Amino acid sequence: MKRLYIVVSLVMVLGLVLAACQTATPETIIETVEVPVVQTQVVEKEKVVVQTQVVAPTEAPVAAGESLPRNETLYFNGQQWGPVKCWNPYSSNCNNALGLAAQDNSRVPMFETPYLYNMMDGKQYPLLADGDFTWNDAHTEITFKIKPAAHWSDGTPVTADDFAYTWASYIKYNTNAGNNYKDYIETVEAVDPQTVVIKAKLNEEGKAVNPLQVGHYLSGAYVIQKAWTETLEARTGGDATAFLTDVAEDVVYSGPYHKFFADETKVIFVRDDNYWGQDASMWGKLPVPKYLAHQIFKDNAAGSVALAQGEVDVSQQFNSNVQVLWENYNLPVSTYLPEPPYGIGASLPTAYYNLTSNGLDQVAIRKAIALAVDYDTIIANAMTNQSATFDQVPRSLMNPTPGEQAMYDHDAVADLQWAGNDIEGANKMLDDAGVLDTNGDGNREWNGQELHYVATCPNGWSDWQAAIEVVAAAGEKIGIDIVTNFPEWAVYQTVVTKSDAPLPEGYDIFMMWTDGAGPTQPWGRIRHLLSSEFVGQEINWNGNWGQYSNPDVDALIQAIPGETDEAKLKEMYTELVRIYLTEVPSFTLMYRPQSFHTVNESVWTGFPHQDDGTEPPVPPLDLTDGWSIAGLYNLQLVNP
Amino acid sequence: MKKTIRQIFHSPKFVVGFCMFMFILLTVAIYPLFIKDKPLTIISQGTFVPPGIYVNVYDSLNTKPYTLMLDAAAAKRIASKLSPDDRIAIKEWLVAVGILENQIDTTDTKSLLELWGNNYDPKKQLPGMTYAKTRYYQRLNAALEGILSTEGVTIAATDTLTGTLQAKATVKQSDYVNINEVPNKRVLLLGTDNFGRDVMTEIITATGVSLLIGIIAGLIATGIGLILGLAAGYIGGVVDDIVMFFTNLFTVIPTIVLLILISFSIGQESRGPVAIAVVIGFTSWVWTTRSVRAQVISLRNRDHVSLSKLSGHPVIRIIFTDILPYIASYVFMALILQISSAILIEASLSILGLGPRTTEVPTLGLMLNWAFIYQAQILGKWWAYLPVIIIIALVSFSLNLMNTGLDQVYNPALRD
Amino acid sequence: MKGYMRYFGKKLIWFIITFIAAFLLNFILPRLMPGDPVAAIVARLAQGQSNASGVQAIYEQYTELFGTNEPMYTQFLLYVKNVFQGDFGFSFSQYPRSVADVLRSSIWWTVILQFPAIIIGWILGNSLGALAAYRKGWYDRLILPVSIFASALPAFGMATILLVIFGVTLKWLPTSGGYDVSMIPKLNWAYIWSVVVHYQLPFWSIVLIAIGGQAIGMRSMSIYELHADYVKYSRFLGVKDNKIVRYVFRNAMLPQITGLALALGTMVGGALIAEIVFSYPGLGTILYNGIMGQDYPLISATTLIITIMVLIATFAIEILYGFIDPRIKAAQSD
Repeated sequence: MKRLYIVVSLVMVLGLVLAACQTATPETIIETVEVPVVQTQVVEKEKVVVQTQVVAPTEAPVAAGESLPRNETLYFNGQQWGPVKCWNPYSSNCNNALGLAAQDNSRVPMFETPYLYNMMDGKQYPLLADGDFTWNDAHTEITFKIKPAAHWSDGTPVTADDFAYTWASYIKYNTNAGNNYKDYIETVEAVDPQTVVIKAKLNEEGKAVNPLQVGHYLSGAYVIQKAWTETLEARTGGDATAFLTDVAEDVVYSGPYHKFFADETKVIFVRDDNYWGQDASMWGKLPVPKYLAHQIFKDNAAGSVALAQGEVDVSQQFNSNVQVLWENYNLPVSTYLPEPPYGIGASLPTAYYNLTSNGLDQVAIRKAIALAVDYDTIIANAMTNQSATFDQVPRSLMNPTPGEQAMYDHDAVADLQWAGNDIEGANKMLDDAGVLDTNGDGNREWNGQELHYVATCPNGWSDWQAAIEVVAAAGEKIGIDIVTNFPEWAVYQTVVTKSDAPLPEGYDIFMMWTDGAGPTQPWGRIRHLLSSEFVGQEINWNGNWGQYSNPDVDALIQAIPGETDEAKLKEMYTELVRIYLTEVPSFTLMYRPQSFHTVNESVWTGFPHQDDGTEPPVPPLDLTDGWSIAGLYNLQLVNP
Repeated sequence: MKKTIRQIFHSPKFVVGFCMFMFILLTVAIYPLFIKDKPLTIISQGTFVPPGIYVNVYDSLNTKPYTLMLDAAAAKRIASKLSPDDRIAIKEWLVAVGILENQIDTTDTKSLLELWGNNYDPKKQLPGMTYAKTRYYQRLNAALEGILSTEGVTIAATDTLTGTLQAKATVKQSDYVNINEVPNKRVLLLGTDNFGRDVMTEIITATGVSLLIGIIAGLIATGIGLILGLAAGYIGGVVDDIVMFFTNLFTVIPTIVLLILISFSIGQESRGPVAIAVVIGFTSWVWTTRSVRAQVISLRNRDHVSLSKLSGHPVIRIIFTDILPYIASYVFMALILQISSAILIEASLSILGLGPRTTEVPTLGLMLNWAFIYQAQILGKWWAYLPVIIIIALVSFSLNLMNTGLDQVYNPALRD
Repeated sequence: MKGYMRYFGKKLIWFIITFIAAFLLNFILPRLMPGDPVAAIVARLAQGQSNASGVQAIYEQYTELFGTNEPMYTQFLLYVKNVFQGDFGFSFSQYPRSVADVLRSSIWWTVILQFPAIIIGWILGNSLGALAAYRKGWYDRLILPVSIFASALPAFGMATILLVIFGVTLKWLPTSGGYDVSMIPKLNWAYIWSVVVHYQLPFWSIVLIAIGGQAIGMRSMSIYELHADYVKYSRFLGVKDNKIVRYVFRNAMLPQITGLALALGTMVGGALIAEIVFSYPGLGTILYNGIMGQDYPLISATTLIITIMVLIATFAIEILYGFIDPRIKAAQSD
């Protein structure tokens, strides 16, 4: 009896274990994965790629209780987390990722900007605007025309008055956009119904304070209908808070999509078949998918499953080891580049030094730690190779896009750029600087104190945490004790963004982000990394959290926006890179894309890929941000 | 006492549970004696290296080769690069570029590859073909290069003086090395995790830490539960009311919410394994208190207790001699259950990102948390999460089994 | 009857005291957490902001709006006043949505997922436990270890294994969401079917574990009762076996009902893991995100719901017990 019992329970346990093991091995998964329709595609005879898309007949959208037709819907994930709260373009708190995101690469499916920024070539292309904008001779005013075809969703034309009134409202109600540009833009005026003038704020010398920021407004702020704004004002009776928190379900927009449905699990946009952009002066057709649906997941893992299953077409999230999906499972999943780093790096997640910690005021110690860090392991493990290495793109202040890389003289700073894991060099640098282990405990001292640092980043930010672990591991090899600590984000952010006092204990080395790609870059990124204007700010969401201060750097940052001579600019940027790599107030740990962009071609194809023949190239920004929305017009069904 | 122990060890359930538990415990104790690697050292560049034996390629080239004439070698080599699915895909391409279907024999590797070599153009994208497929063909083409070659490969090294390549040796296709003669190899029974750490070493340390957390938390919870339960049950009256008030209070504010709140509040910097254990202990005594109180209430009117009372024995003595021995077995079983549930709670907390800090020690929950963050379950990297789930289940299972076994010994009615 | 009234009266007073204490704690505990919730909101708002005074202005606007600049007792008084008018205020993390609105949109998912899961897990578990106790032999030998093993599996372990097997590998069931993503909800058969299909994985991940625990408990209780003196006595008197069994299981079930009531009371936080693994909408993740975002009003309101639900459940059980179980009365009399 007894034996039987043991046998039974053992067999049962074993059975469960085996069953679980079996189903999880890659081999079995491969067997059951369906290779979708693509196979039959290949057999088709060669034919000319149809360039003009037949506009889908205008049908009534699906009713409640019905399903969206799969071959008219493009599914997203990774931009929207949590339910949408509102549709108000003046509010900055709508948590409406697909509808409202005015930024370096503004998201334009619903609201539009006069120009679209393209991070691939650094240019701004006209959207609502007609042709390129022009600066006046004094470089203090920008003038642009509005496309005659441009009209709002209620059919009324987009006029210069709308632009002027939008700006006035941004200022009046203290919106994010207003706050962002009010130091640089004096006013936005309507010359005639089709012509807009943006006047820059001027400094004492009568020059524009910052022409770069004025240009940024053209692709960084939405234009909102004057008539609707007046309706909203009437409704809220001039109460600024009510104005900014209005849910605005009735909002008038100019873009190709608008709200169709939203709840806790998803948000769906439907195409406006009267969209002005089908006019020959813009796209010449409507965007291909009738619906844009964004699924709301609770974490990345759920999003990855949906991507692998083909329930998501475009994924803007960190899909760890994304290559496994096509290499091992043979799924029709792809990224912008076929090989690592798979995407285009745009921002530089950075480790800042607290320059007031014992020893970190010494360049030698700062640089030695930065030399010793094993960046290849950070990139291979934390980012699962979804970042260029520092051998491929040597460190500077520029992101890996060709446009920015061309902005400094590589040869001039080549001997300053380090690729990491240089333990010997780091040890020598410390020895030379007199940072020695005098008491023989294996750890170096400075000022009579053991060198001991805490490296920190927010808890739950997985790739950053993994990166900071590698930074800590480097310390051990060069006789500096570095431990890691991961406070909750709610705590972390209040500490790091308080720049009117020295950082407290536990924040010796800490990670923060930098700007990505945008019309003011790399200037904006450099300013946020190095400018001393942020030291002493009570709440500092801008940058330079390590509180670095260098008058030479400040002068350069001040001078660059007004400089138009390319050669001079390059010289100035090279000088900034030289100072940055010499003084090491902070150091780049990896390159991160502006948006992750992974696509599943089970239903749709024609997504932006490297060398896809588009001119200008469509950037891999999920077909929603800036010029990448052009990608929505190139989509085709795999099985038409 | 001896008799009870003998009885206990005659309970099959207890014995199975005990053996499983001791096996886990012994492994945790013995493994570090033989394998002295630090559990948190990052050993692999790249995440989720699969389980297996890793042999240094450089050293293999420098190890004396043996020639073995094995018939199937070439076929295996080809099969590893060219699967049946690949052959079908090649055929599809060839058909698409206009080769007649009857001219393609997918079983004849040589002719198939010849056709492929003549007709494939990596720059060409067939109309209607997805990028994923185009890239698949590009990868396939790269993999097929030189697949039919019977020549060896030449190893060359850069001459330090001239900077030119100089041939050093030739590796023949029939060359084999004896794995025992290669100086550098590493057995990774369970591969590596997302940080590139050896999962096997990590999981064993983690099991030890999780057991420690379980035991500390279990002792605290049972201790508090025992004291409060005794006080409430034996003394009764106002003490009972107050204790029951706090027990009720802890019931209406659910433990998991309290745990999350407290763990969040104390912050990661002070969340060591012991701190987590203490937090778990101080939030999970409610159930023990209730049960002990109920047991004590039923005991306190028994004859032997009343007799002690009449004899004027002090309360402490009555509790120690007349009450505790009667509920000792019960408390011990409660302790076992508390340990097992504390291990599960630690794992849940870690899954939510509120477990102990990562850098110092691994725990089972943290390992799972990181495996899930790096999506091991979707990518088929089973070695990073499945063994952890199984260990947690086995520890908990063995404890519960022991508990059931004990229950049957102490309550003969439950025996089969 | 008078004794009962006194018994219930006393219980009621304790319930009210517990409620008041819990109400206080629900308010205070979240607010003891370190960090500044308004700074977190401003952080979200100000990403990409390059103007410092603007950030400061937003910060002040929000502290004013949420009243976090007031001393704690003023906040509490305001909170009490509002709660009694059914107003839980704005959710910090989901502003401008109100807490009531946030809860309303997610509580049904929790109830729909948890209520049947708890009930079915309870019924199946107890039936299996009773079966094992009554039939003994092979039933017992199979059911008991399986139950112990099932209850030993961690919740996320069960959820992940189900996800990998039935969702990712076999693709039998959808892996995320409350209903089909392509669907616009409306109460019709297609929608209900979609909800049911999406429901399966989270449901079974909860039920399978619950069954294990319930079966073990029920088995022990039943065996105790089967060996109780009254059973032997009834048998001796020649009472029919069916009738005895009915009594036995009714008595064995009493403690199990307490467990059921508690499980129903705490269902709000109970499915947190399943909600996360399967991206299922519900209150568990709302509460969790509320804690992460230091959303005081949301945490307080959610814990208050839990408190009230548990209190009602336990109170109902106490009253029920007072009537059906004479042993309670006996315990009270001494």
